[in-house]
Amino acid sequence: MTKHFVRMIFALAGLLAAGASACAHPHVWVTMQGELVYAPDGSITGVRYNWTFDDMFSAFATQGIDPKKPGVFTREDLAPLAKENVTSLKDFGYFTFAKANGSKIEVKDPTDYYLDYNTKDTVLTLHFTLPFKAPVKAKELNVEIYDPEYFVDFSFKDMKEPITLAGAPAACKLVVARPKELSVPAGQQLGEAFFNQLNSSENWGAQFANKISVKCP
Amino acid sequence: MKLVAGGRTSEIAKFGLWVAAILLLAALADDAFAQGSPFGGPRPAAPVPVDGVVGWLFAKQAEFYKQFSGLIRASKEDGTAAWSLMGLSFLYGIFHAAGPGHGKAVISSYLVANEETWVRGVVLSFLSAIMQAVVAVTVVGIAAVLLHASASTMKGAVNWIETLSYVLIIAVGARLFWVKGRAFITALRQLGRPTAAVGAAVTPAHAAHDHHDHEHDHDHGHEQCDHHDHGHDHAAEIGHDSHSEHDHGHDHSHHDHDHDDASAWGHAHAPEPEELAGPGGWRRGLTAIVAVGLRPCSGAILVLVFALANGLFWVGVASTFVMGLGTFITVAVIATIAVGARSLAQRIAGAHSSYGMLAMRGIETGAALVVMGFGALLLGGYMVSERSVGF
Repeated sequence: MTKHFVRMIFALAGLLAAGASACAHPHVWVTMQGELVYAPDGSITGVRYNWTFDDMFSAFATQGIDPKKPGVFTREDLAPLAKENVTSLKDFGYFTFAKANGSKIEVKDPTDYYLDYNTKDTVLTLHFTLPFKAPVKAKELNVEIYDPEYFVDFSFKDMKEPITLAGAPAACKLVVARPKELSVPAGQQLGEAFFNQLNSSENWGAQFANKISVKCP
Repeated sequence: MKLVAGGRTSEIAKFGLWVAAILLLAALADDAFAQGSPFGGPRPAAPVPVDGVVGWLFAKQAEFYKQFSGLIRASKEDGTAAWSLMGLSFLYGIFHAAGPGHGKAVISSYLVANEETWVRGVVLSFLSAIMQAVVAVTVVGIAAVLLHASASTMKGAVNWIETLSYVLIIAVGARLFWVKGRAFITALRQLGRPTAAVGAAVTPAHAAHDHHDHEHDHDHGHEQCDHHDHGHDHAAEIGHDSHSEHDHGHDHSHHDHDHDDASAWGHAHAPEPEELAGPGGWRRGLTAIVAVGLRPCSGAILVLVFALANGLFWVGVASTFVMGLGTFITVAVIATIAVGARSLAQRIAGAHSSYGMLAMRGIETGAALVVMGFGALLLGGYMVSERSVGF
């Protein structure tokens, strides 16, 4: 009996500790544009991204960088930061979860990366190409872009064409699934349906994922 | 309460249930405000009502946070925007403290494990919240304002502070676990003895003693209901003291285990009222404050740097402290629930003598384990409280 009792206390303590799964709110907002890069033979070689950060994070990231002209950061001024960004993004898998016909696509280190600064909106945009390890030719390609910890909120800049398919075979079609909206319609009570939108799981951020898929019959 | 030998096992089972219920209650109190599901683990079977509150809290804080940049910008030209910014900071503090990374779980577990009073709980909450603000302002003030350091330097500093804070949390938990775990084992060992004693002969004298105990503790329970004040808790402590002395005498006549009995109630840290709130007591609390308050909140750092970039550093500093006040309110509410749950447990446990003692020690040991577990998981990176700024 006492053994059970002790075990139960340990189990409860474990449950409590496990209960603290990550569910912070985002501190960084990224508005993105993407392009699937096609080789002449119709295979996909990688993704080309433009990620625009929000103004608060942009201010934080540029802190301590001295531009030649105050307030105007050039590509050269930002080159070390761009390198740092793509390097540390590797730890997060570039927040890109790609699958070809259901199997995971491995990626290589980014190429052609740089940051530029919009002086009007005071925001940074990170441009980079994420090459696939091997060119992919698939009936169905799925790409999800999200932060599992939901520290970074990703959204597509243009919902009509979130990712362009430059040079894709004519038969290929793009399908887009937007992340769940966490909003309550005006004047409406907080119903159970809203609460149920938020499911806790190990991969909590996934429910805020931006999913695109390209289908080539 | 009838102490019959045959009823022992069911009594233990009943107590197991009580402990489970109280730990669950504490968990809910923590988690209702802390995260998406009470036990966060892999996919809860059914949605629990608290989920909704959390969902709403979550949507709210993201919404508030997004307004910071606009209001800071507006504060440049318009003084009234600065006031709106303070209001926003306060609300954000309240809502954001609901998320992880503010050590509520650590604080409340600490309060349960360490038999803290409500007043001390609230004071601990206040000091740790304010300390968090001070650390954020210090990091940005020194790194960004004075040293003109880059973002990555600041990240490095925050990471370093973070590690230190997790190590401290483990240390606080380990110390409590050592003290409470020993007390728990003592209480466990004691359980076996009365069984033999009672089994041998349930003399009228024993029964009378037990009965007396029961009523005695019951009175305390009523007192607790009537006035929830600081002074009263001491009265309760003294009550338990005399109770433990009673046990001491009782057991002494059968076995010579006076040493074990003395520490059975686990008052390893002196239950004397004056000492509880005395300098020694506060110094102990200080470790917990530092462990929890050391870790600055990423949101505050971003707000401070953004304010600095806009030439409004002091507005950012004011906002950070107001955020701290908001954080304090949430943490204090959770601390109150934790202390309340504990005294409820104590009241229930008090009515059942040795089993109650075991239950209380069990709760405390469990809570100490939770503190330690949090620290270890955070340090090991298995649990992300809040990713440090950027990537």
